[in-house]
Amino acid sequence: MDRIDHAASELREMDDLAALSSPIHSIHPLAKLIVTISYIILTVSFSKYDLSGLIVMLLYPVIIFSISGIPIKTCFYKLRIVLPLVCAVGLFNPFFDKAPLMSIGSIAVSGGVISMITLMLKGMFCLMASFILVATTTMDAICAALRKIRMPGMIVTLLLLTYRYISVMIDEVSVMATAYKLRAPGQKGVHYSAWGSFLGQLLLRSMDRAEEMYSSMQLRGFSGEFQYADVSPAKPKDYLYTVFAVGIFFLFRMINIATLFGGIALGGSL
Amino acid sequence: MHMADALLSPPVATVMYAASAAATGISVHKLKKDENTQKLPTMAVAAALVFAGQMINYTIPGTGSSGHLSGGMLLSALLGPQAGFLSMVVILAIQSLFFADGGLMALGANCWNMAFYGCFVGYYLIWQPIMRGRLFPKMEAKAAARTKIIMASVIGCIVTLQTGAFSVVVETSLSGITELPFGAFCALMQPIHLAIGLVEGLITTAILIFVFEARPELLQEVNAKTGGHKGKLTLKKTLVALAVLVVMVGGALSLFASSNPDGLEWALFGNTEAGYNENMALDEEDYGIESGLSEKAASVQEKTAFLPDYSFADSESAAGTAVSGIVGSAIVAVAAAGISVLGRFFRKKKQA
Amino acid sequence: MIRFEHVSCEYEKGQTVLNDLSFEIQDGESVGLIGANGAGKSTLMKVLLGLLPYSGRILVDDLEVNKANLKEIRRKMGFVLQNSDNQMFMPTVFEDIMFAPLNYGMTREEAEKRTEDTLNELGLSNLKHRHNHKISGGEKKMAAIATVLAMDPGTLLMDEPTSALDPYNRRIVINTINKLNKTKIIASHDLDMILDTCRRVILLSNGSIAADDGAENVLTDQILLEKNRMELPLSYSHMKKQ
Repeated sequence: MDRIDHAASELREMDDLAALSSPIHSIHPLAKLIVTISYIILTVSFSKYDLSGLIVMLLYPVIIFSISGIPIKTCFYKLRIVLPLVCAVGLFNPFFDKAPLMSIGSIAVSGGVISMITLMLKGMFCLMASFILVATTTMDAICAALRKIRMPGMIVTLLLLTYRYISVMIDEVSVMATAYKLRAPGQKGVHYSAWGSFLGQLLLRSMDRAEEMYSSMQLRGFSGEFQYADVSPAKPKDYLYTVFAVGIFFLFRMINIATLFGGIALGGSL
Repeated sequence: MHMADALLSPPVATVMYAASAAATGISVHKLKKDENTQKLPTMAVAAALVFAGQMINYTIPGTGSSGHLSGGMLLSALLGPQAGFLSMVVILAIQSLFFADGGLMALGANCWNMAFYGCFVGYYLIWQPIMRGRLFPKMEAKAAARTKIIMASVIGCIVTLQTGAFSVVVETSLSGITELPFGAFCALMQPIHLAIGLVEGLITTAILIFVFEARPELLQEVNAKTGGHKGKLTLKKTLVALAVLVVMVGGALSLFASSNPDGLEWALFGNTEAGYNENMALDEEDYGIESGLSEKAASVQEKTAFLPDYSFADSESAAGTAVSGIVGSAIVAVAAAGISVLGRFFRKKKQA
Repeated sequence: MIRFEHVSCEYEKGQTVLNDLSFEIQDGESVGLIGANGAGKSTLMKVLLGLLPYSGRILVDDLEVNKANLKEIRRKMGFVLQNSDNQMFMPTVFEDIMFAPLNYGMTREEAEKRTEDTLNELGLSNLKHRHNHKISGGEKKMAAIATVLAMDPGTLLMDEPTSALDPYNRRIVINTINKLNKTKIIASHDLDMILDTCRRVILLSNGSIAADDGAENVLTDQILLEKNRMELPLSYSHMKKQ
């Protein structure tokens, strides 16, 4: 149940990172959203044996991390959730796909090993791209970008309200968990006799809280719609960034840059 | 069950996004029509609480392990299917954005696998019919309601997690990500999620019973008159629908299995007669199991090919240019490292 | 002016929470509402705001509190909840203060100007861009007060404004209340704060008015207070010891 305290500090950390300033932070959120989605789609679309083609996609996150000053360590810490499942799925590949695809010196490398590696790299790269988006864009800005792409107002409001109260709820659950731990020193989790009441109590209290919130809204004239400020309009640099980044991704996808460099480095084509 | 981006191909991810978007649109439309503006703070607070509550360990007696709550059935029993669905979507979005639990491209699939089944299938096919059904007529009303809640929660969680896990297998297989044969993948996923579903069902039951004892008006359908007066789906109809579903899925699976009779055996022990080369050729198109499903999947992918005019690097050229690929990759890696060092250098300079 | 005429309020289970209340509050009066837990203080404020059904008659500036007049009446009154977290539901302080002005039809520019002015008047400009889930309890309470003052209501209602505040922030809230030139109705257990901010005190007991007099008269009546599960304010009991 220490996950709860970790969750609180992880949220705070992402918040703090998004509040920093750098050239990347100041780019329009919709531009960053488009670039991130394009990157993810194109990265995932590499064929499973195209390891050399895929590797060059590493450059985008590395460059952005560099410019924005976001710590890579935090990003890698989040890999702990994604990688296990990806590895579990990919780990079977070498067993089923044993035909050798290439050889490094005298060692034959099977297709299964290659596809396992590409899968893990894809997992890592996509996570880095998402992380960059959230670490350089505040929640308000992300929601503003979503409103721009015509996401229903109800969802955006729900997202913002939920986000507002997540830290409150994490605190409540954490306090409850601490109270429990102090009176059940040997236990690692909630005993089944308390399964219902632990979260049930909090649930009932939360319903009361929601009622109070609603009263507060009504008393201040709420009639169904929340009104938000529009994010500042896109500047030329935002368009430039989008076009340039997406263009580069397409280039990397179409041409195997790594092989190109290698070919040039080795002096002449193979 | 949160899927990472790497486990999906763009076409599959897009289809799942479309499906989830449709469900979202329908939910928003229904909630707007209801004009119950009070639902919004309730949904937000419930979503935030379930999010926090997912991190609690519920120790399972007898074993050394613990179970967790994911909350689809819980939210729909409290808020109704549409509001529950939207709350789950928001939870999944926040998990994906801030905790890297599930990818951004995979969000559509995750919403479908966890929120849609949990809230719509779980509510309309299981919760509502059971709660409205004329069950346990000999029991006292409150005891009957309690038993119905237990039944609906446990069955609901098991069914929704099974369908969710199955969808993960289907989506991953259709995306061509794993070499694991369909049958073997199912054999891995389904039993595990049966256990997980059972535990989650029991946890959900405990919470819902607690709420029922304290404030029954908070639960959907609990005070509805039994006999299913206006219910679109009575219990009988639901059982029939479920039976049909089981037959259809079972039929599809057996069709698949029949075109590859030793699918699971092969997966586990290797088809020693044919030898691996028979089953796995170097040519990417022909590797793996010949089966109706994989052919269909291949043709689906061809038809929805992302960039049809560009040939994706196939295995032949990969093998042929392996060496320059390795050298080039090394160059890229060095360049990446160099960029990081430079970046750190310039930032330090800026601060100085 | 606020007038209650034979107002009663019942919870569904047949429990009477307000029992035939009749009183008047003139413009500009500062009234403390005290009583044991469950005496009806919060319920009184909620029926006044149209949040709970009641029998009898409640008039705010000659407007009856009913469904038709709700919007107009709520514009005239600002309610500061006990739990500021339930009051501040927008992502940032600024957006929260703008909530009411925008809902009442101001344009965005007007609402922003009004919000800036409110923040400046309360000395809270440093909170302008802060996020609600990150500010401290004291800052949240002051921000909550700002959210209701943004519409410049004639009446301010407060439910336990100083609970959970440290002495420093408590003093800030008290000073802020005293600087405001409005009709004030403050429900609280903090009798010293009531003494510091209110001229008149209404003591509720089981939904009825047990006392309605000047603050010094009610709050020095030790027998009356103790009969209603309360004590003399510390300021008085301390003096008595000396």
